[in-house]
Amino acid sequence: MVDQPEMLSPLHDLAMPRAASDTAGVELGERLCASLVQVQAWPNTVGRVEKALSTLKGEITIMPSGPGRWLIEDESEGLEDRLRKKIPSAVGAVTGLTHGRVVISISGRKSEWVLASGIAIDFSTDAFPVGETRLTHHHEIGLTVHRTGETSFDLYVFTSFSRAFWQWIERAGEEVGYSVT
Amino acid sequence: MRLTCPYCGERDHQEFTYRGDASARRPSLDSQSIDEHNAYVFDRANPDGIHHELWNHTSGCRTHVVVARNTVTHEIISCDPVGPFAKVMK
Repeated sequence: MVDQPEMLSPLHDLAMPRAASDTAGVELGERLCASLVQVQAWPNTVGRVEKALSTLKGEITIMPSGPGRWLIEDESEGLEDRLRKKIPSAVGAVTGLTHGRVVISISGRKSEWVLASGIAIDFSTDAFPVGETRLTHHHEIGLTVHRTGETSFDLYVFTSFSRAFWQWIERAGEEVGYSVT
Repeated sequence: MRLTCPYCGERDHQEFTYRGDASARRPSLDSQSIDEHNAYVFDRANPDGIHHELWNHTSGCRTHVVVARNTVTHEIISCDPVGPFAKVMK
């Protein structure tokens, strides 16, 4: 059997690690998901899908992304197959998005400020508490924003738009200084 | 203009796509009347006052919302979900 080729990030040459020229207000980074899956319930099976998702084990992040819809990330591979066993098509639709998104992370004391310079949602912790998810866009590029901490966010960006988005976030970060990890 | 999505909360209208007059009713599929179909496609009341319109939260949760908007003052009176998931909206 031929080995699977290693997945190459579309940002591999852009997001090269580098230190900030001065003090960094934000730290940028990128990663590919081991597993990223969307689950959509039917209007009358929302409760059953919620129950199935509550039995998931492992390093799982469940992000609500619409009525009866969730985006789920697992730190190990094979989540799509596991979910297909739990959620047959009569209960919901399971769609693998592992290769469809790149995760761009931003953290640091100025992360709210930098994101707010281009994304029109309220980033204060009152309106957007830690652990919650927001669906929005930046100049028509759809974004799923997950707040992982007081000053840290994961942005799930379409793979094909990730280079354009990365270039924006670098420009936006220049104002406060940025480093890339 | 800002609209309050029943799922996502208050957002800029740029996240939404306008889907037309929410009060327009499609004639029944077996209707043979050209006038009925013509009225459905072209005739609009264009009120000065409260207007019900369909918006889709395309950059968010993709829910369709019926927005009641005052066309004179631009006041948004209500934003209600429609469609099969309206009942399960949190």
